[in-house]
Amino acid sequence: MLGAPADAQQATGEPVKIGVILALTGAGAGLGIPERNGAVLAEKIINSKGGVSGRPIQLIIEDDGSNPDGAISKANNLIHREKVSALIGSSQTASTVAVGGLSDPMKMPQVALSGLGPAIERDRKCVLHIAPSQALNARALLEYASSIGAKKLGALYDSGYGTVVYNELRKLSDAYGITFVATEKFEISATDTTTQAAKIRAAQPDAIIVVGVTGVPIRSLRQLQMKQTIIAANGLASYETVKSMGDAADNVVFPEFLVGEDPLPHQAEFVKLFQKEYGRLPKILEAVGWDAVHVILSAFKKAGVGAANEKLCEAIRSPFKGDMTDYDFSADDLNGIKLSNVVYSKLVAGQFTRLPFQAKEK
Amino acid sequence: MNVGLLAQSLLAGITNGLTYALIGIGLAAIFKGSRVPNAMQGEFSVVGAIVVVLLLTGNGWPYWLAILCGGLSGAVLGAFIEIAFIRYMIRNAAPEDSYLLLTIGIGLSISAAVLYFFGRESHLLPGFGSDNIYIILDAVVREHVIWLIAISILLTVGLRQFYRGTSVGLRMMAASIDPVGATSIGIDVALMRTFTFMLGGALGAAAGILITPIIPVDYMIGLQLTLKGFAAAILGGLTNPLGAAIGGLALGIIEAMAIVGVSSSYKDVITFSLLILIMIAMPQGLLGRAGRTGG
Repeated sequence: MLGAPADAQQATGEPVKIGVILALTGAGAGLGIPERNGAVLAEKIINSKGGVSGRPIQLIIEDDGSNPDGAISKANNLIHREKVSALIGSSQTASTVAVGGLSDPMKMPQVALSGLGPAIERDRKCVLHIAPSQALNARALLEYASSIGAKKLGALYDSGYGTVVYNELRKLSDAYGITFVATEKFEISATDTTTQAAKIRAAQPDAIIVVGVTGVPIRSLRQLQMKQTIIAANGLASYETVKSMGDAADNVVFPEFLVGEDPLPHQAEFVKLFQKEYGRLPKILEAVGWDAVHVILSAFKKAGVGAANEKLCEAIRSPFKGDMTDYDFSADDLNGIKLSNVVYSKLVAGQFTRLPFQAKEK
Repeated sequence: MNVGLLAQSLLAGITNGLTYALIGIGLAAIFKGSRVPNAMQGEFSVVGAIVVVLLLTGNGWPYWLAILCGGLSGAVLGAFIEIAFIRYMIRNAAPEDSYLLLTIGIGLSISAAVLYFFGRESHLLPGFGSDNIYIILDAVVREHVIWLIAISILLTVGLRQFYRGTSVGLRMMAASIDPVGATSIGIDVALMRTFTFMLGGALGAAAGILITPIIPVDYMIGLQLTLKGFAAAILGGLTNPLGAAIGGLALGIIEAMAIVGVSSSYKDVITFSLLILIMIAMPQGLLGRAGRTGG
């Protein structure tokens, strides 16, 4: 992590270039902008502590506009014109897969901020994923539901990653002895989901799983006076989303990774640094950006700065203790995040509080 | 399916339908008065809502005063657009399609400006009246929804009376139907057009203010609202505000019934298939013919 010598000095010398491709505009900007904030802070802190081998790191940040074609053109520029040593990106699966098509043949390490996507990604051994897979998300949701004794569940999920998570939930529910009594879908940017919520209410579930990126489904459920616990996927665990939930931001549980109000011991320093720099608490996306830069830094430290792509890739595919969570990039799913790493938080009157519950690895 | 579920779905359909209707009414008013298809109608709503948010939560003004200013801001913005852009284009005999391009451009610019000056956060407004909930036929009804329904009806009826019964309204319609003829009997066509945009702007802002206690406002929502408003207005016959209101309601109710009766996965397929069938059967829209004859 951040072991700095007592007399750390500002790094000098030729910068080590790292290409960063994020969704800074368009539909994915809600992901890319916080990720950039975390990455930029990491660059600043790393350089203030001497950089790598005395040389500063330089993040060259590009916007893919939330679209894979944009990602490809930026990746080409970064790889061939800027001659970066490694890549970070992108925020969304489609762009990550597109960039992977360029980085993988060269074996250039790429740290993706999106969760593991289509099957081809498992063959790209140098494209690591800092975000948990949808399968892990689904398991984490069911673990909590099971722990509160919920047998009949409702599910309200969006047409984006919601559908992927829902399919995983369906596959796993039998093993938990859980039945889905009502499942309803809504478009990612829907402004209202009252009718879907009403159908779920009519089925009287013990608890409701919500997968989306806006506060709309949660508001719709609560406005129908539904008192059941809502277990929401981590895409909803952000301060912006909580604000858009209004009064509904209560009795909502998230399987996630970082509760800034009550961080795990190894996260405390990152939270403090972030709060000092930006005047607010970080959440998962900022931590992901921060960890991504540090993952590459550790690979440089292991393999040496001028190392060939293959050596760098080999060095990066190992366990790494990040601030967001612990990873194992040598794992098959190229992130190795364990169920037991998941931190559960609960919204109480609009505030995140950390729950003591921890899922056990089976 | 029980009565409660049906009632709740119907209510949701009516609520959403009215939000589409409110945008559609403003669109129809502007088209009726100027023949300009206004692709930025939703931005009037965003601007109106943001002004109220700023005055209310940022500066602590009383709600009614903030709402008044919000409505005025829509009117002022409408007037500005007409005077600064539309008049100039008319004087230079711009082709019809360029007005659509103009309003698209203005819409994108306003959306970007809202993002730049106010950030990416979304904002909710307090509901009208109290925070009470009423249970009718096992359906949950927020007090604000009742206000929404009442005010929407008032606006629709009021607008109809305005066009038929007031001197200004009649002049605005005349200026739009036949500018040359209107000028020859002493109507200031350019001024009537400015009034049209002020009216459309105020209606758009009012829509935004009525909607924002239900749907949080942010820089992106303008376009979404415009698209739904357009569907409502076209369904009802583009020059007829009453038609737009009915069109919006129909759209919202069809959506809700598709979700509750069939499946939430097929909501859009069902809704838009029905819309296509209606437009094929009645190309002028539900009340289109009436609109063109001044109804």
